[in-house]
Amino acid sequence: MKYSLTIGWLYPELMNIYGDIGNITTLIKRCEWRNINSEVKMLNPGFKSEELVNCNLLIMGGAQDKQQTVVNKDLKRVKKELCQMIEKGIPGLYVCGGFQFLGKYYKEADGTIIDGLGVLDLYTENSGENIDRLIGNMVFMPEVKELNKPIVGFENHGGRTYLGRKIKPFGKVIKGFGNNGKDLTEGAIYKETFGTYSHGPILPKNPEFADYLITKALEKKYNSRITLKSLDGSLEDNARLVIAKSLDIEI
Amino acid sequence: MRLVNVFLIVFGKFFIFLSKFTNLGSGSTWPGHIALKINPNFNKQLLKSTNAVKIVIAGTNGKTTTGSLINRVLISNKKTVAHNQAGANLLNGLASSLIHNSNTLGLIKKNYIIFESDEFALPQILENINPDYLICLNLFRDQLDRYGELDEIAKKWKETIKKLSKNTTLILNADDPLVSYLGDGRKNTLYFGLSEKENLKRIKHGADSLRCPKCSYMLTFNKVYFSHLGDWHCEKCGLKRPKLSISNFKYYPLPGIYNRYNILAASLLLLKERYNERQIINGLKLFTPVFGRQEKIRYKNHDIIIFLSKNPTSFNESLSTIKDLNEKNLMFVINDRIPDGLDVSWIWDIGIERIIDKSYNISVSGDRCYDMGIRLKYAELFTHIEQDLKTAIDKMISGLEKDEKLYILPNYSAMLDIRKILLGRKLL
Repeated sequence: MKYSLTIGWLYPELMNIYGDIGNITTLIKRCEWRNINSEVKMLNPGFKSEELVNCNLLIMGGAQDKQQTVVNKDLKRVKKELCQMIEKGIPGLYVCGGFQFLGKYYKEADGTIIDGLGVLDLYTENSGENIDRLIGNMVFMPEVKELNKPIVGFENHGGRTYLGRKIKPFGKVIKGFGNNGKDLTEGAIYKETFGTYSHGPILPKNPEFADYLITKALEKKYNSRITLKSLDGSLEDNARLVIAKSLDIEI
Repeated sequence: MRLVNVFLIVFGKFFIFLSKFTNLGSGSTWPGHIALKINPNFNKQLLKSTNAVKIVIAGTNGKTTTGSLINRVLISNKKTVAHNQAGANLLNGLASSLIHNSNTLGLIKKNYIIFESDEFALPQILENINPDYLICLNLFRDQLDRYGELDEIAKKWKETIKKLSKNTTLILNADDPLVSYLGDGRKNTLYFGLSEKENLKRIKHGADSLRCPKCSYMLTFNKVYFSHLGDWHCEKCGLKRPKLSISNFKYYPLPGIYNRYNILAASLLLLKERYNERQIINGLKLFTPVFGRQEKIRYKNHDIIIFLSKNPTSFNESLSTIKDLNEKNLMFVINDRIPDGLDVSWIWDIGIERIIDKSYNISVSGDRCYDMGIRLKYAELFTHIEQDLKTAIDKMISGLEKDEKLYILPNYSAMLDIRKILLGRKLL
């Protein structure tokens, strides 16, 4: 049987800063190289909710402030559907701004509170221009049974995210700042939804995680266990080693 | 003239001489750095007494080429010019340039001062220089880890421009919405842009400012020349590309559509300075590409041409230009040092697979060669990966047929490394 996947790319035109398109390219090619059909649905502002609910895997990136305001407004429109999908265990990757949107709120330096979708038990605070942005290469160990390799990425965020009791971090920071630079947590996991501050983009250099998302999406869709054919990852290993070496850590 | 400045100039000149003599570098920022530490008003005081016409050039891509084009035409018209060294484009670079170009009494007896300004430093630079001309070329995504977001930069620029003297002539790229908006409602502003047919082969992804700078509504483009540059308007608030003062010139010394903009900006300024078309063309004919901007270097009996490519837009445009020249031997070199930005994720915003195919001979090198290797793996292009730069260049060169050329696309620090290997020195 030939498998097929529909990947929903939330706000590709507005939320695609920091090479986020690389995550999409990676998913498409890794499907193609295994003879899995994939289709990308571009979910731009005003998209129909039926388009969203037909997706098997969701991806959302980060953006500049002006764009985030537009997206925040549009996302409220499909809040119910998106929350249902997340609750049902449809896998998704939400990077930086996308990650923050899923939380309860985002508090700006002047005290303004921007409501999030509230589907994840977390909140984000930004203390403004006087507090340093958290920028740099980062490495964290994912707390997911199937993921055995540390994830290598690049973070660049002003907001500090704090997790509530009902949610687990994506991983533990080995080097870098993670959610807030204090508690060593990085990102969040809820069912099969992953939030992270790791750009880079995250998937090309961490193929184990890319394949995890593809596997989970297929398993959910076809309701059976699926094992993907393995692909050569030597370039990726080398790229990760270069960063590990520059950070003076072993991975 | 204050005594302390005389001391700083003499000391600085000695330092520049010493660093050139010992080949340690060109001394392009340290003397200025020290001068400003001792006297923070050094730049303003030196500039007060000069009669030179002062030109500041800002923008993500094309500053050095535009500055060099203007410089070339001025020199060919027997004018004297002080022009800061490429890369030394912060306040300390300005101070160093002034030290280098003044006499020991602190007088700058030049007809023109050209200063290429860093995007982030522009507000300070303008406050120090108070220029006769400010050219703003474009704003593209570049080094988000250092510069922050584009909208932020544009906002800061706009605030600074509001404070500029009315006598400053603004020369703006009308095709770039964010840049064009800098002149909104301001007199003494001239615009350059293109009016030709669009090249539909060009890539539109990576377009940075698609929202109206005034009301944030999605912009409509009648034509796109590349990235987000084109003939635009806003359906909601009616803001549109302003009327162009220049859209074509008789002579273009460099290939590439991005260079058309640089040449138009330079020509517009020179025309405003009352040089006629013939004088400008004669000057442009003497122009030779410099410092990694289509710079040609002879190495082991082959021509190597360096196309500095430091962000998605410049990379796409370099690649498209080389493709138009029917050249096939390419090398991409990518580092992640401070001047490059530590974040190399922008390589995923390059549309490599939409510009070139498997018929190209590609090699990859630099600190982050494996990241670029992965990028090309996903473009399904075969590449040679060699982390050591000299080995990588030598291998590529030894594989070339007679008369074949090598085109290298490096980011900034990689470009310096390449010049060091090919010429024995990083800077000019």
